[in-house]
Amino acid sequence: MTNFVVLNQSLHKDLKVNTTRSEMYGDNVMHAMTFPLEFRDIQSCYPIFFSKDSESGKFYPTALFGLEQNENLFLSDDGWDATYIPMMIKRHPFLVGYQDAPDHDGGKKAVVSIDLDNPRINEHIGESLFTDGGEATEYLSDSIKLLESIHKGHEHNKGFIDTLLEYDLLESFTLEVNLSNGSKNQLQGFYTIAEQKLHELNGDTFDILNKRGYLQAIFMAVASHSRLRTLVDNKNALCA
Amino acid sequence: MTQTKNINRIVILGGGSAGWLTAGVVAAEHCAGGDSAGLTDTTITLVESSTISTIGVGEGTWPSMRSTLQKIGISETDLITKCDASFKQGTLFHGWKTGKGDSYTHPFTVPYGYNDTNLADQWRRFRHQIPFAEAVSSQNSLMFSDLAPKQITTPEYAFNTNYGYHLDAAKFAELLKMHCVENLNVNHVVADVVGINSNSTGDISSLIIDAGEDVEGDLFVDCSGSRALLLGEFYEVPFISKKKFLFNDSALASQVPYSSSEDPIASSTISSAQTEGWVWDIGLPTRRGIGHVFSSAHSDEDQVGESLLKYIERTVSSEAASKTAIRKISFSPGHRAKFWHRNCVAIGMSAGFIEPLEASALVLVELSASMIAEELPANREVMDIVAKRFNDKFLYRWDRIIDFLKMHYVLSERKDSDYWRDSVSSESIPDSLAEKMELWRWQSPWHRDTMHVDEMFPSASFQYILYGMDFKTRARTANRRSDFDAQNSAERLFQENAQRTKKLVAAMPTNRELINKIHTYGLQKI
Repeated sequence: MTNFVVLNQSLHKDLKVNTTRSEMYGDNVMHAMTFPLEFRDIQSCYPIFFSKDSESGKFYPTALFGLEQNENLFLSDDGWDATYIPMMIKRHPFLVGYQDAPDHDGGKKAVVSIDLDNPRINEHIGESLFTDGGEATEYLSDSIKLLESIHKGHEHNKGFIDTLLEYDLLESFTLEVNLSNGSKNQLQGFYTIAEQKLHELNGDTFDILNKRGYLQAIFMAVASHSRLRTLVDNKNALCA
Repeated sequence: MTQTKNINRIVILGGGSAGWLTAGVVAAEHCAGGDSAGLTDTTITLVESSTISTIGVGEGTWPSMRSTLQKIGISETDLITKCDASFKQGTLFHGWKTGKGDSYTHPFTVPYGYNDTNLADQWRRFRHQIPFAEAVSSQNSLMFSDLAPKQITTPEYAFNTNYGYHLDAAKFAELLKMHCVENLNVNHVVADVVGINSNSTGDISSLIIDAGEDVEGDLFVDCSGSRALLLGEFYEVPFISKKKFLFNDSALASQVPYSSSEDPIASSTISSAQTEGWVWDIGLPTRRGIGHVFSSAHSDEDQVGESLLKYIERTVSSEAASKTAIRKISFSPGHRAKFWHRNCVAIGMSAGFIEPLEASALVLVELSASMIAEELPANREVMDIVAKRFNDKFLYRWDRIIDFLKMHYVLSERKDSDYWRDSVSSESIPDSLAEKMELWRWQSPWHRDTMHVDEMFPSASFQYILYGMDFKTRARTANRRSDFDAQNSAERLFQENAQRTKKLVAAMPTNRELINKIHTYGLQKI
């Protein structure tokens, strides 16, 4: 369960965040939402697919870490073995919350919230949130910047997905994974860029996609599929 | 070679759900194609009066409506949000057997493993432990819990369990009209028809309207409602009454608001047998359509009105019952002697009407329209052949509908009024039904009872009604090879169905939750 409260310097001055990557801290996730603004880094480590939000049915791009629920093939006793950790993983235990604020646009203002029930939180090990002088630590400042990027990323995703749907560029797929020990896994419920349709687009449409800033993201998502090899290799190593 | 007259101009008279659905189905096939050089375009013109109001009581569809709408090109999100529509997984019957607390379902999903195994025979051993529909279908449990047949992540028109809709027929006609006119090139003429021109052969050549030029056509589709302006009034094709089989010719209808915006929306049509007929209860997102069907020869209208109000008091609130406005609807149960005569074909109430016990009205429109779309005669010479095929097919279908509806009454043990006593009199039972029911005492309905590939009620539907009503098919007295095979797979199938049911009940949102989400987020197309 989660227990998000607005971050408060005097209440939370002694808290530390354990940034160790481990199943104990909930890092054993199969996939996590990602954003075009980090696609360049994501595609160097993970395949990018699309999933549907269970609450709204809306699509979002997601970085794949495992081939079944609760499986993260990058996670071992030594931590998370990849050169880049996705923003939505790094953000824990923080979240952007919204407070009623009549003088702000839309009557809401963004505030930094912290999940007090997150197992990373303690008073002994990890990164401090505030200095003795009561200033935000570099860790906290970076985390706040991360939240701002995520906030922008959400907005960006909406336009990205709308454009993909407008041009019919998403399709569902089923991936058969044959492991070296002879067992078969099926990856279902994800969506991907419809490459055939992508190649049939005319120049004007490419121009539109480019001007909207999504063309590069589309091709990076396509290129990221070669990272599936890493997942299968890791899975084979596990099963060996 | 004689000069043939091509069929290029279709005129539809009447703009209710029958007229616009027909326009949509035919136009999607004939008017929305690409340009092929040298071929003629088919034109469709729909003439509707601005003064005649359509009958809208809240209607149920069959699952076939999903593929019909997909073909027409209407998004399911639009259907749900613009037609006040909700999901229907079948019919939930109360009180049909004894009237003393009995209930059963007729789900839209066929029994588990139906292709290969007849579970009805295997269920017989467990008949005292578990109702038939619950043993063979996951949908039964979803229906009793007002759950939805899919999730917000399920794409448009796809399903976890098979479903149709409950919808506001007037809004439905409006959505179809917009789509037909804006996207499918259907010409829309608002005018009253004041006369009909025919040519020397007796074919209709044009409709004379009160505002504008005559509307000429090669094929005229009569969707003018029970008046049957073209097929009935002009051609005088006789009406065949079916009242001797199905007595109901009247209904008292009402629209009842929910007590709160969080009340469950039933995901089944609820059909509750009463002393003087039965009550339909159709849950739309914003209101319930509740009505009492009865036979004017058997029952007094005031008495029926009272029993309708009692139903509303019991299932909604006494406040709702005291406020409700009741509208009387009269109809003649039956159909025309034929539906396609010369160059005129009737669809909808102009073709016929029967009590809405299994929601057969809109599906007949879909079937008629799709047969016209597929078999649109190339020219006047072959039209009579197509007409004959059409008439044979739909006369057969009407007979099967009557058999199937009548069976609901024949299986009842109710004796609490002349209405129910007369319903089981032998002269009120069609021979075709009596014969099948005699056979089913010795063998359960199975694939051979589905005589045609496009049969309206497959053998599975007969199974659900028969065994839901506790009909007894005897166990065989001689060994059969196939029984051994079935016994072996039955246990596994029953277990798998139970597991699947558990999963679905846990995973499905309520009908209301899903509809609210669709209003907020829409459904994805993929």
